[in-house]
Amino acid sequence: MNQLDKTQLDQNQPPPKQRLLQQVHPAPRDHAATDLPPESQASEPPPPTTPAQEQVLQFSAQEQDFWEGRYRLSDGTAVSFQARRIGQQVHLWIGGESFVFSPVTSASRNRGGHQISTDEILCSVPGVVIAVHVSEGDTVAAGQDLLVIESMKTEQVVKSPRDGTVQRVPVQPGDRIDRGMRLVVLVPLEGD
Amino acid sequence: MFSKVLVANRGEIAVRVQQTLQAMGIPTVAVYSDPDAQAPHVTMADQAYPLNGVSAEETYLDRRKLINLAKEAKAEAIHPGYGFLSEDPSFCADCAEAGLVFIGPSADTISLLGDKIRSKETAIQAGVPVVPSSPLWEPGESHHESFLSQWGFPVLVKAAAAGGGRGMRLVEREEDLQPALESASREAAASFGEGRVFLERFFPAARHVEFQVLADASGNTIHLMERECSVQRRYQKVIEETPSPALDQKLRDTMGESAVALAKSAGYSNAGTVEFLVDAKTGQYYFLEMNARIQVEHPITEETLRLDMVEWQIRIAAGETLNLSQNDVRPSGHALECRIYAEGSYNNFAPSIGTLLSWQPPHGMGIRLDSGVVQGQEVTPYYDSMLAKLVSWGPDRRACIARMSKALEAFPVIGVTTNIPFLRRAIRHPAFTSGNYDTRFVGMYGELTTPDDASQLADAAAALAEQFWQASVPKRLRNQPNIQGRPQGPWDSIRRASFP
Repeated sequence: MNQLDKTQLDQNQPPPKQRLLQQVHPAPRDHAATDLPPESQASEPPPPTTPAQEQVLQFSAQEQDFWEGRYRLSDGTAVSFQARRIGQQVHLWIGGESFVFSPVTSASRNRGGHQISTDEILCSVPGVVIAVHVSEGDTVAAGQDLLVIESMKTEQVVKSPRDGTVQRVPVQPGDRIDRGMRLVVLVPLEGD
Repeated sequence: MFSKVLVANRGEIAVRVQQTLQAMGIPTVAVYSDPDAQAPHVTMADQAYPLNGVSAEETYLDRRKLINLAKEAKAEAIHPGYGFLSEDPSFCADCAEAGLVFIGPSADTISLLGDKIRSKETAIQAGVPVVPSSPLWEPGESHHESFLSQWGFPVLVKAAAAGGGRGMRLVEREEDLQPALESASREAAASFGEGRVFLERFFPAARHVEFQVLADASGNTIHLMERECSVQRRYQKVIEETPSPALDQKLRDTMGESAVALAKSAGYSNAGTVEFLVDAKTGQYYFLEMNARIQVEHPITEETLRLDMVEWQIRIAAGETLNLSQNDVRPSGHALECRIYAEGSYNNFAPSIGTLLSWQPPHGMGIRLDSGVVQGQEVTPYYDSMLAKLVSWGPDRRACIARMSKALEAFPVIGVTTNIPFLRRAIRHPAFTSGNYDTRFVGMYGELTTPDDASQLADAAAALAEQFWQASVPKRLRNQPNIQGRPQGPWDSIRRASFP
């Protein structure tokens, strides 16, 4: 299936009942609000089909991994968009904002239950660890400094995303760090 | 005029300088590090030489390599751009020794202005008000009790060889001073090879206004009006505009005269920028430093004055006389620059890398893009994260902002996170549109750096992503995470963890 049948898309099926994707960027501040388990989405009634409904107005590119066109927003204004699939992610640019979505995982579905998961604070850009301010077993508060790294010639303080206990600090000062490497493993406080 | 010029830089400024050189009919020589082999500044050049290495130290900062290549290519002059070796007096001296013209001021002038303490003394001699500061500090030395007892906290820690906000820290409490001194000194040593720092009086509500000057070798000196640079993050400029909404004509004239007086007393030749701090409360202005190079934000001056600043740099370096007088400098309209950085808007401006799968700059009336990248290019972690500068011009400030706003909305970038969403919000914010903002602007308004997940754009994005996903991924593979068993990528975690 290289090209989608255009007429099929123009008909614009109603939004799926169960969301397949979840937004992973921009990082939401309020996790509960945007990272809902799909069950709660399913209970929402689908929006009514009216001529003013949100929809793709026009495609200028429609390949398997790349879409480009104009989209009508709910208030009637039209904006440009581009969508690209990069591996298991959908990168979407629309009207000047950027979004990244990834498949809803079983782990994220379970969130909101009783399961306590750990937080891994990962490195986004290669660099060097300059200082480490916490060690294993430390209790940290949201916003507390965890470590300092240098990347792109700039020192950056990595802060704790939440209250929790430091389970592991796999890096030490002087370490070269690469993208995706674990910097700190945090066990969030219960009830967070 | 020079028969050939080597551009000892990369990115947008290496492109910008070569555009002017080529327009003047002067062949260009580019140099490049391994990761930059396919970069636009290389492909556009008449000749290009590899610097064989990755880090800045082994490539764009290697003075010997650059001078040898300039000789080999038979270039007559070197344009250093900004950053890297542009304000390194020994590089300037090396050029002279090798019989090459350095396009910029003399080594002595660079050395004088690069020393923040000596440059302040020069300003005082020229009758220009300066920001109070302490003597220099080196690791191991004690604090500056007399300075602190006079001015108290908060205080700014600054590097003697400061630039681009590096090696700078704001310290609010005494107990934070020592760590800040050490960290700033370390960062300055890494960035400039000079780790000495000093304390400077901090103005909580201040605007950062700079004056562009042009001077020829015989001392003819004029200023090209001001640039307002108060929108900063991490003490680094993000948005600049001219004219400054903070100056009236009287203050503009006085500050312009100060800038010219300072440039003259420093024996300045070529294009340079005199930076001032304007106390928003009193309207008093203070000299901060003079940058002995072309400035990142020079395009806004070019747009309102309709002159080519790089061309003047080259002509002055070639010995031509500055045939403009102060009365010839008549700006028209308003210009705005937004620096496009590879960094997250919602993640404490953390740098981002990746491949620019989409990079489609906007066009239109009054829109200019100075860019160092093209679609498909890899953004690497080795150098500064600035990708391009979007500049708008309009007959008045309001029209200029409106054009910029539309342009930022029509600039698709995918594959590398950029600050474009932040820029959009910033220039539309009432504090910005009113013109009544200062250097606290970015930190003061959390809505600039908080994603709006409830917006209709976010809703549309979610709906479109679903549609696209269904069309793009075969049904049997959908909704099955980690199909290839690969570990979770960084994006999968960003929703749970803030990361650097």
